[in-house]
Amino acid sequence: MPITSTAFARTTLALVFAGALALLAIVGASLWLVDRTSENAEALVQGHQFRARTAAILSSMQDAETGQRGFVITRDEQYLEPYEEARARLVSQIAWLQEQTRSRPDERAAIERTGALIDTRLAELEAIIAMVRADRVGEAVALIRTNRGKRTMDALREVLNTQVDAIDLHIAEAIDATRASATALSWAVLVGALAIALFAGASIWLSVRYTRDLVSARQEVQELNFSLEERVADRTAELARANDEIQRFAYIVSHDLRAPLVNVMGFTSELEVCLTQIQQYVERTAEAADPDTLTEVRQAAFEDLPEALGFIRSSTTRMDRLINAILKLSREGRRSLTAERIDMGALLDAAAASVQHQLQAGDGSITVEKPVPNIQSDRLAIEQIFGNLVDNAVKYLDPARPGRIVVRGREEGARLVFEVEDNGRGVAPQDHERIFELFRRSGTQDKPGEGIGLAHVRTLARRLGGDVTLESTLGRGTVFRVILPRRADGFAARPTA
Amino acid sequence: MNAAAQAVTIVMIEDDEGHARLIEKNIRRAGVHNEIVPFTDGTSALTFLFGQDGSGQVSAGRGLLILLDLNLPDMTGVDILAKVKANPHTKRSPVVVLTTTDDQREIQRCYDLGANVYITKPVNYEAFANAIRQLGLFFAVMQVPEID
Repeated sequence: MPITSTAFARTTLALVFAGALALLAIVGASLWLVDRTSENAEALVQGHQFRARTAAILSSMQDAETGQRGFVITRDEQYLEPYEEARARLVSQIAWLQEQTRSRPDERAAIERTGALIDTRLAELEAIIAMVRADRVGEAVALIRTNRGKRTMDALREVLNTQVDAIDLHIAEAIDATRASATALSWAVLVGALAIALFAGASIWLSVRYTRDLVSARQEVQELNFSLEERVADRTAELARANDEIQRFAYIVSHDLRAPLVNVMGFTSELEVCLTQIQQYVERTAEAADPDTLTEVRQAAFEDLPEALGFIRSSTTRMDRLINAILKLSREGRRSLTAERIDMGALLDAAAASVQHQLQAGDGSITVEKPVPNIQSDRLAIEQIFGNLVDNAVKYLDPARPGRIVVRGREEGARLVFEVEDNGRGVAPQDHERIFELFRRSGTQDKPGEGIGLAHVRTLARRLGGDVTLESTLGRGTVFRVILPRRADGFAARPTA
Repeated sequence: MNAAAQAVTIVMIEDDEGHARLIEKNIRRAGVHNEIVPFTDGTSALTFLFGQDGSGQVSAGRGLLILLDLNLPDMTGVDILAKVKANPHTKRSPVVVLTTTDDQREIQRCYDLGANVYITKPVNYEAFANAIRQLGLFFAVMQVPEID
């Protein structure tokens, strides 16, 4: 099934739109997942930080213990250095721990307990150091021996470990979530890419099919064009041949019909000559003959024979004229036309001048409305066309009113339109086409003519690449309109014979 | 034809017997009394002109004037014209082509082949009779060479 251009455009647009949507979805999902991953990473960093800090707190506590222990044993102030340092560090570490209560509200209890345990232990260490400085070593050792310090430290370790465990769990969760996000991202990209590939594929497939359709359609059109040209050429040649044949036929028919006609007419003349002799003889022998026979012979010689001969003569004369008309038309059809530039004003003036004297007798007039466009065509044919039309107009004027004949011309694009208008007797509507046929005439048959003129005009006009039409109201007048190409370049097929 | 050429024979090759008769009548009316030998087909006319052997020897010493129609039933008059003008014994005989064709190329071809006069038969009888009578008058004054 061929794809129509609108369906193709609509489908392709839809596919491109779907592809764009898939791309947007991928981008959206990626952004969301990246956001989530960065959140998880934040959690991870915080978890690690927390671990490190708690380890640092524990190590600071141990440093403090170590310093205190060394001092107790040596009573040398120098051994208190690590203790002092650890205490200094612990100040900030405890401050950080207290901050954590804000970000980790659910761990508040554990954090507060951590702080309390650190305070308790540091207070104990301080108390022992003070005892040693006051030389109450025995008292200090007794305090150490109570193992209270160890228990505090163990508790501290435990509470910190619990928190680290919680953090570890949190980290594991974050890692899992990140991994899940990454997987989801991969899937989203994969699915999106697949969808885009699918849409792109469909779009390409459609385009290819559409293009192939277009190409094959164009090929078809080309083939059709080619065969059309061929067919037109064939038909033109056929028409030219047919036209040729008709012309030759008309020529042969008119020639061959004329030969026997010359005989009929010739021997009719001979008969007339004989008849004259018979008539003279009858006159001379009138008195000698028997009256009854004489009457009969007289009737035959002076009435019957001349009448018969008269009919034969008038009929053959008419037939002769008709055959001549056919011959003339066929000759016109065979004449080769040559295009030349024609001054139409002068040509129409000449046509008008040739009927001027006929018109003046009946108080009529003929005018050529200037300017008229010039034409490039066959001069003789144009002269005959307008000569015939003007003659016709004069011939069929209405005797009841003075004749007015107007000839004018104008341009209509590449064609020229000439009009010969008269106020004559007009043509009945049913005869508008008929009068262009050979031997057909219209109206009262009171004028001489064979009905050739208009047939001739139409044949000529058509050979020149134009046509002739008429507009007429019976009793009012007629307008003959001759339409001709401004430049007759290629004349209609002309017979070669 | 003048007195010396009184023996000139007019050979009329015309397939239409009516035409032939009318031509003869009208030539006679012009005062031409030479013998007229009519032929209605090309074959018998060629036999008369060139003899049974076709050599043309038979025409040696004859004075001939040929009146030729181009449309013949068995051949075209152009063929006869070509043969007459190609044969040494007949080539000087005047040939008058009298036919219905007024095709320019046909006329040119006839003159190219050596036709002496080409006349198109007029369409109507009056003109036809007139033309033939004038042709007869022309015959009365023209010189026809004697053929060796």
